[in-house]
Amino acid sequence: MAPASEDTLVKHSTEAATEFVNSFYPALQSNRATISSFYSQQASTILFNGNVVADGAAVQEIFVNQMTPTHYEVQSFDCQIINRTYPTPTATGFKLPTETTVKDMSILVIVSGFVRFGESRDLPQRGFSETFVLVPNPTADGPKGKRRREWLIQTQNFRLVV
Amino acid sequence: MKNGKARGRPSASDRGGIRKRGAAKKVDREGDLVMDGNTSQARAKRGRGDSVRSGASSGTRSQTSTRAIDAIQKAISSNSESQQANIRQGGRASNLEQVRVNNWKGSKAKSNPDGGQESLIAFLEKKLSPPDARASARARITKSRLEGDAIIVSIKPELLNRMLQLNGFNFAGKILEIEKYDEAGIDQAMLPVNGSTPTAADTKAKMTAFLAKRFNRENKLLDLSDLHNDPDLIAMGIFQSTSTESKFFPALMKVWELNLSLVFDSPAARRRAVESVSLRANKLDNLKMVTTLAQAFPDLKNLDLSHNDFKDAQSLLAWRHKFENLELLDLSNTPFSADPTFKDTMLKWYLKLRVLNGIEVRTAEELAALKKSPIPVQAPYFRDEGCIAENFIRAFFSGYDNDRNGLLDSVYDNESTFTLNINTAAPRAQQADVAAWDAYIKNSRNLLRITHLTARMSRSHNGADKIRKLWNSLPATRHPDIAAHPQDWLIECYPIPGLVDPTGQSPTGVGGLLITVHGKYDEIGKGSKIDTRSFDRTFVLGPGGGAGGVRVINDILCCRAYGGNEAWAPETEEAAQPAAQQATPQQSIDQAAVPQQVVGPPATPEGYGMPAPGKSETQVQQEQLVIQVMSQTGMTLQYSELAISGNGWDLDKALQDFAKLKEQGTLPPEAFLAGTV
Repeated sequence: MAPASEDTLVKHSTEAATEFVNSFYPALQSNRATISSFYSQQASTILFNGNVVADGAAVQEIFVNQMTPTHYEVQSFDCQIINRTYPTPTATGFKLPTETTVKDMSILVIVSGFVRFGESRDLPQRGFSETFVLVPNPTADGPKGKRRREWLIQTQNFRLVV
Repeated sequence: MKNGKARGRPSASDRGGIRKRGAAKKVDREGDLVMDGNTSQARAKRGRGDSVRSGASSGTRSQTSTRAIDAIQKAISSNSESQQANIRQGGRASNLEQVRVNNWKGSKAKSNPDGGQESLIAFLEKKLSPPDARASARARITKSRLEGDAIIVSIKPELLNRMLQLNGFNFAGKILEIEKYDEAGIDQAMLPVNGSTPTAADTKAKMTAFLAKRFNRENKLLDLSDLHNDPDLIAMGIFQSTSTESKFFPALMKVWELNLSLVFDSPAARRRAVESVSLRANKLDNLKMVTTLAQAFPDLKNLDLSHNDFKDAQSLLAWRHKFENLELLDLSNTPFSADPTFKDTMLKWYLKLRVLNGIEVRTAEELAALKKSPIPVQAPYFRDEGCIAENFIRAFFSGYDNDRNGLLDSVYDNESTFTLNINTAAPRAQQADVAAWDAYIKNSRNLLRITHLTARMSRSHNGADKIRKLWNSLPATRHPDIAAHPQDWLIECYPIPGLVDPTGQSPTGVGGLLITVHGKYDEIGKGSKIDTRSFDRTFVLGPGGGAGGVRVINDILCCRAYGGNEAWAPETEEAAQPAAQQATPQQSIDQAAVPQQVVGPPATPEGYGMPAPGKSETQVQQEQLVIQVMSQTGMTLQYSELAISGNGWDLDKALQDFAKLKEQGTLPPEAFLAGTV
């Protein structure tokens, strides 16, 4: 397959990041039952303020059962392609570089914004910085009863910075 | 200049309607009367100030030794007090007009961390610009500051009429009230007392003495209680007319800052000098007169407003979003404290409030709970492989500061990507001032704003050559040393799979490291202006031919206003760390002399060392060098200027020269700022 042109790659990666940011933070805020659907089954490291969280299901559990109402405000974000021939898992193994399409890429996303823990608007705004690596969703179907997402979190690192 | 101003005023006062709506109309109107009554005098004074100023600046340009000798003679022979007073006035007579913008709070942009201030400025700049203006010709708001609930903006005089026409415009749901603003200077405020006209320096000396009397250094307490019965203020005639009374407080705050700026280099140290203020028993029923206190002491911990006439929350509203660190508030013996909503309102306004009217309203536990994030803050997660990340980070930031080209050659290749995004609205450390982002913004790839594909492409810098071009255009930086200042950094690292194998041997990809860095840096701007900013930077490192066997695949940088390092201090060490960190600033405060009894000459005129329309870049740089000489030698502005201009504007030479002269004892006492010798 001919390598995709630069504009196609930029278009795909930035649209993927935008779609992700526009759906993930609202989910953390008000649709917590869907949180695990954002994570890859093969998710590697997931960190919140230096606390290791095992997987997407554990993240969802924490947000559903332990987390106060939380308001996120994304103020700036950007992305880059890490690997434009990402070895997306298949039924038999991995896609080889010759088999990959424009959608087989891994994307680095960095987000800067603030978060307010609690419902009152008078509570302090805490600055955060969050880094994600997004990878293609290898499965054709979404998790049971949940929407299929095209891009999934492979790794995530959240930090309060202000 | 003064004439120009006077001519401009009638057109502003034609807009009586605007003025009537403005909250401070009385002050302004009386200010006008005051000034009109003394027009010839004020003009004459201003003229003198101008001549001194222009003389000084032409000297900075010519740099001839003859002029330097002349200036020395003049400085030595003349009465230094009046000389300085003139210089200060010259500085204030900059050719900018000030405009007060009211009723902007509570707009749809209010949820922004700055309450929508930045959006407002952007809105005004857009409206001031002709619709077809190119980026370079767009109107600029040179300076802005908060005064109470109003924003005071400075604009070029030619924009004034257009600006006043924006009165009544709708900004994100709020109808703006815009009027011309005449600043009450220290001297003007105090001019007509009993028909006599004390000089600015005289008034300032009296205020300085008053502040010294009322300031308790040990307790960091500024006691401004019962002002009406202070014999010194009565003697100054402060309370004889509402005009002087209303201008007294802002002027006092200005004198405070002028005096303090002689002693403390950083605004932060200046703010730490006072923890408590008392405004007890001043017959206050609103905050109009004292509202500038919030700008002078934003980090106040204890505030005594007792024995005043505040009726309700409304009368204190101007300070609702001020004093974020207030722990103790006394409003006893005010009508408001009997209000059933009193306690709840104050708890809501002041999140760190512990004691209200002498009664504990929040326990230490409750306060800690408010501060804590529901996600406990842990030490950094750092899973390196054979010190690869550690070595990379150490080399990276010293390379980025000192030799960006060498850094690019060592670990970046043709497949490396760098992008930059600026979070212009990020939460900041307490009251940190944020320098403009001009040097970055045209390369910022904040995807929230940069939505067109072509712009997204052009702002992605792929390959060492393109990155080099960008890096060489970005401001010089200085990051703190990691080993010496570990608390300023939060660095995390762990392995990630699925990177491209540059050798092509592993079709399923290779592993690498993801490194996230949060920290701060000093940006060294033009004329060695230094701004501290915070940043977040993420790297993806893969195996490669660069130094240490790695290559940078991704380098993504987010810059934002300085946000401190408290957020990532692990909670378990919370008790130990602040004590250690505070040791140094504490010391410098204790050593510092606070307002001098002696007349402190003003450090520098307002706007000195700052860019302004009509001021050349060279002049700004030279003024900044003079400031550096002042701060390092303790010499007055004139002597500092002589020292550096006489040494070809070479800071090192000037300082060496100074050390020599000081050792020889040839410098006269008046060469030094009061209190430094």
